[in-house]
Amino acid sequence: MSLPLLEVSKLSVEFSTEAGVVRALDEVSFVIRPGETLGLVGESGCGKSVTSLAILGLIPSPPGRVVGGQILFNGRDLLSLAESELRAIRGKEIAMIFQEPMTALNPVFTIATQMGDVLRRHQGLSRKQARAAAIDWLGKVGIPSPGQRINDYPHQLSGGMRQRVMIAMALSCEPKLIVADEPTTALDVTIQAQVLEEIVKLSEEFRTAMLLITHDLGVVAETCNRACVMYCGKIVEQSPIAALFAQPQHPYTSGLLGSVPRIRSDRLERLPTIEGMVPDLLHLPQGCRFGDRCDKAQDRCVQSQPTLREIGDERQVSCFYPNSHD
Amino acid sequence: MNEAASMDNRLQAAEPRPGESLWAKAWRKFLQDKLGMGAFAVALIYLLIAVAVWLGLMGADWNALGDHSLAPMSAEHWMGTNRNGQDVYQRAIYSTKTAFEVGLSVAIMSTIIGAALGAVSGYFSGGWLDEIILWLKGTLDSIPFYLFVAAVAFAMCSHPYAMHVAMIATFWTTTARIVRGEVIKLKSFEFVEAARAIGLPQSLIIFRHILPNTSHILLVQATIVFVSAIKSEVILSFLGLGVQDGVSWGLMIAESTQEVTVGVFNNFIAASAMLFVLVMAFNLFSDALQDALDPKKVQ
Repeated sequence: MSLPLLEVSKLSVEFSTEAGVVRALDEVSFVIRPGETLGLVGESGCGKSVTSLAILGLIPSPPGRVVGGQILFNGRDLLSLAESELRAIRGKEIAMIFQEPMTALNPVFTIATQMGDVLRRHQGLSRKQARAAAIDWLGKVGIPSPGQRINDYPHQLSGGMRQRVMIAMALSCEPKLIVADEPTTALDVTIQAQVLEEIVKLSEEFRTAMLLITHDLGVVAETCNRACVMYCGKIVEQSPIAALFAQPQHPYTSGLLGSVPRIRSDRLERLPTIEGMVPDLLHLPQGCRFGDRCDKAQDRCVQSQPTLREIGDERQVSCFYPNSHD
Repeated sequence: MNEAASMDNRLQAAEPRPGESLWAKAWRKFLQDKLGMGAFAVALIYLLIAVAVWLGLMGADWNALGDHSLAPMSAEHWMGTNRNGQDVYQRAIYSTKTAFEVGLSVAIMSTIIGAALGAVSGYFSGGWLDEIILWLKGTLDSIPFYLFVAAVAFAMCSHPYAMHVAMIATFWTTTARIVRGEVIKLKSFEFVEAARAIGLPQSLIIFRHILPNTSHILLVQATIVFVSAIKSEVILSFLGLGVQDGVSWGLMIAESTQEVTVGVFNNFIAASAMLFVLVMAFNLFSDALQDALDPKKVQ
């Protein structure tokens, strides 16, 4: 087992709102090793995107604030770096792919200008070299006739192409880690598959590690080596991908997997759902945050909070009564 | 032309062509606006006149004293002469240069200042820098304009550019307010976050990534400031607070107040007509520009 590239430990982030302080991340810990793809799964508002922004030091502050923990990247604590040192890492060593390709490119500049900016800044290329490199990268992400497309403005490209441009931009400085925040959510299903394939192929080719944030379990199953399941700002389960799908340990994970529609089912049946609502982050229960909605909950679950514990073979779960328990 | 064909034409006009910039697209839309093009042509003619005066090709004799005062129109004096026997046509032409000098310098300077301060205060909205800029803007806005010009003229010992300084100092506020609002909107867009995520410093994000997205607003705003600067120059010159050496439509109208009492309207008509046509043309032009540059108006 190699040394971790990124080690997030006990990361907590708070947002102050008018109604009070909201803890968006509560002691989140995970590691990413070089070349590995880690999935971060969870429903809207569980803290996935906040995690990615925290890694890049982009939490809007105020109102956000990192209140605890460490983010070690290649042995350096990103949280203790000065803004100028962080800027040298952003884009060059950690790149980000955004959710909305429609708005993530600057509408008034051509692709050539935008990609050229990144390459000149981080790779120290000349204008000409940067342009050649950009064309080369556009070709690699599967954009047809990149030599012409590079002169286009974002509004002249389709959503899938824009996302490919974003990927090309993220990869062009050959970062060690890519943070992909729902990279395929805004695309339609056929394009999704193509774009994912492209991301996976290129990250394998360049041995780039990736943190893939998504709410789509299908995407995780296809692309990730390991996955963390988040609920209400906490990681509730962490596991290698095959084991996670074969034997989910946390009741929330089983619930998520259960609520994926199955096409091959013979009969028409009602899609199972997880009963209840995500608790309000301002009024969290004293016990397990999933307790209200869990059908296995006991008295103990209401009284105290389970912590993430090892249950063997790189698997961690934060539940008093994980599925293998019974 | 039937409905379908004209619709087809319009669709073609709006559809981007490969490698075409937003500017080229706006220009194509602008070319189709007949009124706007006409106004643009008139504005260009004025510009040519101003350049010709500057080069000494036209209006060179504006200050020459003739033999006859209040002479009627003739082949020698196209618009007659004024009280001092100076050629009204030459003076009206020369005034174009005066107007453009004020209009251009004020439009360019107040747009640059307004854009820079507006962008900074929008980007840091809610912060102390924003507070300072807003305070400055509010203070300058609250002073009555003519009083302010008089004060600046006095403070600068009636320096010929006192009027320019006073206008630049007050006209940037409108531009800054508009840019600030637009930047507040733009900074929440993902491309700004993406610019941060690729490690760009804030100055580059503000001025290279966000500000160019407001260039259509700046351009329209500059033409509006240009016209208001010219109008203000005429009014100030009429009041004696404006042009000190040289001549301006405002000075001509001031002269004419004594001439009209004896029934001579040449000075008054020449200056008013020149001003009216210029202001009208520029207003129509900036309207057309606004339509052409507005990305939300799909024609």
